[in-house]
Amino acid sequence: MAIHIGRGIASIEYPTGMNQNGDPSQAWIKVKPDGRIDVFSGTSDIGNGAKTIQTQIVADTIGVPYDWVTFDNSNTDSSPVCTGTFASRATFVAGKAVLKAAQRVRERILEVAGLEMEISPEDLEIADGDVLAKGAPTKKLSVGDVAAAATWGHGELITGTGAQLNPYAAISDPTTGEVDGVPHAAISYAACAAEVEVNDETGEVRVTKLTQAYDVGKAINPALVEGQIEGGAIMGLGLGVLEDSYPYYPSAEHRGDDFGSYYNPSSADLPELHNIIIENPSADGPYGAKGIGEMSNNAQPAAIATAVHDAVGVWVTELPITPERVLRALDARAAGSGPRREGKHVIFDEELSINAVGSGKTWTAGP
Amino acid sequence: MNIVVNGTNRAVESPPLTPLLHVLREELDVLSPKAGCENGGCGACTVLLDGAPRRSCLTAVGSIGGAAVTTVEGLGTPEDMSAVQRAFVHYCAAQCGFCTPGMILAATAYLERGGSTEVAAISEALAGHVCRCTGYLKIVDAVAAARDGDFDLSTTAESPHTTVLG
Repeated sequence: MAIHIGRGIASIEYPTGMNQNGDPSQAWIKVKPDGRIDVFSGTSDIGNGAKTIQTQIVADTIGVPYDWVTFDNSNTDSSPVCTGTFASRATFVAGKAVLKAAQRVRERILEVAGLEMEISPEDLEIADGDVLAKGAPTKKLSVGDVAAAATWGHGELITGTGAQLNPYAAISDPTTGEVDGVPHAAISYAACAAEVEVNDETGEVRVTKLTQAYDVGKAINPALVEGQIEGGAIMGLGLGVLEDSYPYYPSAEHRGDDFGSYYNPSSADLPELHNIIIENPSADGPYGAKGIGEMSNNAQPAAIATAVHDAVGVWVTELPITPERVLRALDARAAGSGPRREGKHVIFDEELSINAVGSGKTWTAGP
Repeated sequence: MNIVVNGTNRAVESPPLTPLLHVLREELDVLSPKAGCENGGCGACTVLLDGAPRRSCLTAVGSIGGAAVTTVEGLGTPEDMSAVQRAFVHYCAAQCGFCTPGMILAATAYLERGGSTEVAAISEALAGHVCRCTGYLKIVDAVAAARDGDFDLSTTAESPHTTVLG
């Protein structure tokens, strides 16, 4: 028995948002008479931090403190349309919608402040909740006073809407495949280097280190970006070496039938993690941001597979890389069939699909 | 029967074999213990019984006797959080939040019984609590630092695991 150490690397490029299918997000912002800001958006926050990040975007764009802004996504009926939190789009697409709405609110605040201060709006700016004359910051009026003047003096509601939609890029030339427009709004890039220990007697693979670099355009909230990178690392580790609902798919044999027989990673599987955040700004995203969500768990399984090859010289071409698969690959090599590359051989068969198996029917492995 | 939840004596109508989890959530409206797997595997339903972590989904309410039940509502309030709660905020150690109450209770009990702040020991101690969002690292970092207790909650802890390239 020996423990073999191996290292591997894999990379991914990932288009942010739905691109070719159109995925609008809309936002509406209103300013209350005391200057506090209400944002209405349909973006659900599933733990990715959409509320925090969109609140930051609104506060920074208007020029008011973060805690002046209330982000209300509680009701998708009264909120404007947002197609949702998927496709890594919550910051990139929905964040751009709130950015545009906030820009309009800022313009309206400056217009009303201009009337109150008798200064042209172009000569005013907003910082930390105050409207200031450029170059003469002692001349100032708080955003709360501006909003009160709009409400009680001018009979106005300071409000703004914003929407973001990446237009559909039709194929304009069927021979060359040339498209009419921009096929992708932004491409993110990432790479993962994995270090593993492989036990050649038990076949066990232990991931000891993941070093990952993500191009996120702009890390609007670095702690939340780290959360996505680290969460993705452990999801990718699970996909790489642990998680399998149907170990002999399409057969349901040895299918786990309760929570305890599904191996999701625990804190005991936590490897050493190194995160590298690369800020390579996008042209379209808010403050140059791109999506990070979904690409964060793609590169690890491939990096782990190459690390296993580096460690013990066999390619395991099915995921997860279980002890059984490692031992079978080692046996095949010992039997003289050389490094084995299986390739894909499962052809979709409706009768044998996961849906059919999951419906409670039982199947035996076919020929 | 009566049980003591977060220092308050509460009357319980449910039959004695009802899981404590369901008594807390459905009868007493204590919602921080989460119904995850409901077979003892995920840790989301964890409560403290006289300070020791227990899976409330597997604990019949009639079996706890006079043991004091503590949930995160009993550890602190948003204005006056416990050291572990403050550490979780400062280290940004929650994403969706489903595992967080169980994690905080398990970590509280672990530190109170003198657990080591070595990363490997914390990882082992919390291994019965599944988190699918965070990748565990920020949770482990928060628990390792929690004994310090005194965090500036207007800032987020700088991660020693990250490099930013412009």
